[in-house]
Amino acid sequence: MTAAADVLSPRSRNLQGLLFSLPLIVLFLAFVVYPLYFEVTQALDRYTYEVLFNDPIYVQTIVNTLVYVGIAVNLKLFLALLLSGVLDDDSRSTRFLSAIFLLPWAIPVLPGILSVRWMMSSQWGILNLISEDLGLGTHHWLASRWTAISALIIFHIWKYLPFWTVIILAARRGIPRQLYEAGAIDGANPFQTFRYISFPLLAGIYLICSLLSMVFTMGDFTNVWLMTGGAPGDSTHVLATLAYRYTFRVGKLDWGVGVFATALPVTLLFIFILIKKIR
Amino acid sequence: MAHSRREFLKTAAGAAAASGTLAFPMVSRAQQKKLTVWWNRGYYKEEDEAMLKIAEDFRKAKNVDLDISFTIQEDLLKKIISAMTARRCPDVAFCFYNDWEVIPKYGWEGKLVETTDVINELKPRYIEKFLPVAHVYDNVAKKRAYYGVPIECQTMHIHYWRDLLKEAGMNDDPAKIPMDWNGYWDYWRKAQDALRKKDPAKYAKVYGIGMTESSSASDTIYNFEMALLSYGGTVFSEDGKVVADQGANREAIVKTLKWFADMFNSGYVPPDTLNWSDGDNNANFHSKSIVMTPNPSVSIPAHHFFNNPDNYFNKSATIEWPDGPDGKKPTYMVAVKTIIIPKDSTNKDVPLAKEFIKFVLEPKRFTDYIKGANGRWFPAFKDVASDPFFSKGQAGKGGAVDPHLPTVTRIYLERPTRVFEHYKNPANSQIYAENVWGKAMSRTNVDKWPADKAADEAIGRIKTIVAQWR
Repeated sequence: MTAAADVLSPRSRNLQGLLFSLPLIVLFLAFVVYPLYFEVTQALDRYTYEVLFNDPIYVQTIVNTLVYVGIAVNLKLFLALLLSGVLDDDSRSTRFLSAIFLLPWAIPVLPGILSVRWMMSSQWGILNLISEDLGLGTHHWLASRWTAISALIIFHIWKYLPFWTVIILAARRGIPRQLYEAGAIDGANPFQTFRYISFPLLAGIYLICSLLSMVFTMGDFTNVWLMTGGAPGDSTHVLATLAYRYTFRVGKLDWGVGVFATALPVTLLFIFILIKKIR
Repeated sequence: MAHSRREFLKTAAGAAAASGTLAFPMVSRAQQKKLTVWWNRGYYKEEDEAMLKIAEDFRKAKNVDLDISFTIQEDLLKKIISAMTARRCPDVAFCFYNDWEVIPKYGWEGKLVETTDVINELKPRYIEKFLPVAHVYDNVAKKRAYYGVPIECQTMHIHYWRDLLKEAGMNDDPAKIPMDWNGYWDYWRKAQDALRKKDPAKYAKVYGIGMTESSSASDTIYNFEMALLSYGGTVFSEDGKVVADQGANREAIVKTLKWFADMFNSGYVPPDTLNWSDGDNNANFHSKSIVMTPNPSVSIPAHHFFNNPDNYFNKSATIEWPDGPDGKKPTYMVAVKTIIIPKDSTNKDVPLAKEFIKFVLEPKRFTDYIKGANGRWFPAFKDVASDPFFSKGQAGKGGAVDPHLPTVTRIYLERPTRVFEHYKNPANSQIYAENVWGKAMSRTNVDKWPADKAADEAIGRIKTIVAQWR
């Protein structure tokens, strides 16, 4: 193959390379460039943004998305960082606990969310049974904006914490043991070990995980749609569910695209930092 | 196995010649007329089977290459919206959401074929009060005309457990239940009180009234619109202008919202109603955690008919919405399901599409189809509605009388009805999609706003949506 390539002129080599790349280029044009072009052209209408910014639900949705992404991702990764320290141990009991701990990640989203919804049912849910037994009365957990959003955040953390813990645990295992031994010789306590050895060496992967998780969570549709469907009163929408509602319930594709277009600069910024960090 | 270039060329030429010969019948097939139909998957297999038979009959009778596909309603709506956007549509589309979501918007945008000729031809057969649903404004052609063919309807019914009323020591005969506004709703409250008194442990979680009040269910819209009519209010004028803020209408809206809030806070409605989706009142009814529920289709009895005939014939019944607070008989909101012909269809054969629709709607054929739905839909045609099935209902063992379908038929044929008003103003699609009234109920039930404040917010939102619509 090398010999054959050597006898080809540079132009032929370029043509050959182009032909080999053609399927990928066609796919890229069809599934990345064209949709982006379509989105940009759909999103150019100024009127779309007038409508969006005058829609109280859109403004509320921006707040919801910021709260959901900001709290869920950061709390989840902070907990993952702590838990990875607990699980960074080779004892049999820890290995057993790790296996149990991974279960929420293995459970499919739909039964997971249905279980949470059932637990939070005002009429039959276990939360209200406990609340009533404690004399705290009945609560409409999913019928109130902030308790519903809290439920979403808790479910998100419960579901995805194991995955990110494993990622950070893997990074933690990559830290040379000699550094900890040197710290121990110098008399570093556990907090100092974390502060001066673990955290600086995990900071890069922690940032990458945060950015990746933020990009994933910004586009999260499934959890929110299944948990609340935007209810009560369209007060728990995030960008993905609102875009869906505009497109398929109201039939306004341009508004749906407009919702994503307003989020695009933030997502692109995250991706830009991410790529820079990885390089 | 290695082939020389010459051998390859020979083989390729041979294959090309063979395919040319074999393609000959394809040419004649290509000359056959083609029709693509997207049809809403029915709730019962009998519906789909009846439609497949109609399609097969049409294929044979007209020598048409008919491609019919069935899709569930939620997915079909998305499919239609996507097709309309991409301008790659079927020749005929029937989706249960056409009347609320598709016809007003795409009729307004000039993307639907006018069907006035079909309507005029079928007019002698139509129950004419259902026709306005398809009479929408085309903002491109700058005229109002028919842009769809209505075929079947659904409206509000109230179902209740006769055996729970008996258990409560109350009269379970539909004819004996008071129909005046206060007496009617009190009756179900009394049932809850009596049941809980009789066996507190067994009935502690049973509620008298299964009224959906969530912002995610379309049942909420039916409930609100029915109650608003009972209080004598309206949102749109005949020419499609918002009149909800005018004195009497605003007052009726405030009263209606207050009525729903009082009902929710009274403890006679399950607290979960704030989160119910459209199927949840059905599920609660089936599990007997509510004594009665308003439901905008006969899906509840139909389920019993197939799964527990004893429940259908003996243990449950269907009753009307009560007379209004002013003592007048109720006016029923009716959703009329409608077929459309998109302009951007693949085969662009409008005459054939219209021929297919008329073929489907021929009396005998359409009667077989709609009876396949076991009474879930009521026909938009007088001749089909006169079939004994609709007046007498299902036949029970030992001559048991149907306690559901005759009531349903009486509602359609004898009571005042009003089709949902999307035809008046296409912005209604968004008002309904946002479930503005469900949101207003959230304000009163969850945020504890007074009804007048919630009403003003909702009216303001409706006016904004209408003003922004283009």
